[in-house]
Amino acid sequence: MLLGTEPFRSLATTAAAAAGMPHVAMVLVDHPLGGVDPKRIRDRGEGALDAVLKALTTDPAMPSPAIVAAAERVSVPDDLDAFQEHAMARGWSDGLPVLPPTAARVARLVAGARLPGDTVVVASLAPAMRPLTVELVAINAALAGAAPEHMPVVLAALRACADPAFNLNAIQTTTHPCTPLLIVNGPIARTLGISGGANALGNGYRANAVIGRAVRLSLQNVGGAIAGETDRATLGHSGKFTYCLAENEAESPWEPLSVERGFGANDSCVTVLGAAAPHNVNDHGSMSAASLLKALAGTLSAPASNNIYYGGEALVIVGPEHARTIADSGWSKNDLKRALWEHGGVRMGSFSDENIARYKHIIPGRFDATDPMATVTPTVAWEDVMIMVAGGPGKHSVVIPTFGATRAATAQVQL
Amino acid sequence: MDVLNPVPAAAGSTIVTLAPRPRDLRGKRIGILDNSKPNADTLMARIAELLVERAGAAGVHTWRKPGASKPAADHDAVAAGADVFLTGSAD
Repeated sequence: MLLGTEPFRSLATTAAAAAGMPHVAMVLVDHPLGGVDPKRIRDRGEGALDAVLKALTTDPAMPSPAIVAAAERVSVPDDLDAFQEHAMARGWSDGLPVLPPTAARVARLVAGARLPGDTVVVASLAPAMRPLTVELVAINAALAGAAPEHMPVVLAALRACADPAFNLNAIQTTTHPCTPLLIVNGPIARTLGISGGANALGNGYRANAVIGRAVRLSLQNVGGAIAGETDRATLGHSGKFTYCLAENEAESPWEPLSVERGFGANDSCVTVLGAAAPHNVNDHGSMSAASLLKALAGTLSAPASNNIYYGGEALVIVGPEHARTIADSGWSKNDLKRALWEHGGVRMGSFSDENIARYKHIIPGRFDATDPMATVTPTVAWEDVMIMVAGGPGKHSVVIPTFGATRAATAQVQL
Repeated sequence: MDVLNPVPAAAGSTIVTLAPRPRDLRGKRIGILDNSKPNADTLMARIAELLVERAGAAGVHTWRKPGASKPAADHDAVAAGADVFLTGSAD
């Protein structure tokens, strides 16, 4: 039987149904459990005893099996404002206006995928574990305002999200503010106008906006990550509307991220990362790699980052002007990764005793130092520092921590 | 106008048959699969302790997931180690 707390009921219900056990017994106690005196937790255990005993000694009724149907036709109002109200009420939107996914529009998007509509893209998309077909992606891309030529990138991103190492179920449901960041490499970025230049992580570019949004709406409507219900993010971040950019390969002094990850320079690829919001690194003064390292490594080193205690990669998006300064000092990408890892770090004295006890269980050996001045590296291994180049003119870079219990995954765009 | 529903009609999973529940817990081994969330261990240990005291269960064995976002290592071995299980879901 399952134990949990009331705010997490929807998530527990979805997880149980996805495992084929919608009828498993569940007992809920008062929220929260974390950060509460264990004596009070023991009292809650005593309060739940009768319900637990009943759950453990009663056979649950077998529910009727669900029926899988093809995409359902729904009649909606013709008036666009009335359609918005309808779409919002049905939970189809991310909160912004959506375009009607008419059969004709969806057919054009399916054609853009150059695959039959019933092609299964992901066999079971977390957390609801429903099959994701090309047609379902097209319907959600239609809502998002994507064009047919965007479909191959959207599909590659969703295939990458389904890589088991990415841990999509956790990314979709955690209280942590993470969402797939889509990093596009290769010629498709230029063809579609996916920006890796000025304001690439901001507004202003249709391809960045609609590709990321089509992925988000697919994850919401097919994956079943519903804000405040199954998506348990405490705060979330605005990248959950859309979080997509290209690498600025033209202005990078180093090999592209996708090449580093084993693909050819002419392959178009999408790399997904379970990413928090960007944190800026403003350095207008430093004139060498060694100088610039201080601001970059300092920003990478935050005591409450998931990368500290859960592992995983942390991404540094180096602005082109910072990248030029670093490369002009003769540093390779690996030189920069090693230096960030060696010079970054969080002092043991920055962690509370309760957190140290918890972290020791999650990564044994990493939090054993007793000297409060001893440092813990910003990621477990230096190779876990990810580097890419993006942005326009200016002396800024950003650090993007990840969920930690996740690994970046790359899928090639099929054209 | 007609549109296509972006939300699939139903879940894809088939429903599994759950193990039959015992009539009572006398002599039964209580298993705890701790999901590693803070205080989940305290809550479930207390409930299991009371199941031994008041419902006559035989004893308690605890397994711990390596992290809340990571699956348990060996479900079969865990399942064989007790007659009924308490586990935490999310927070």
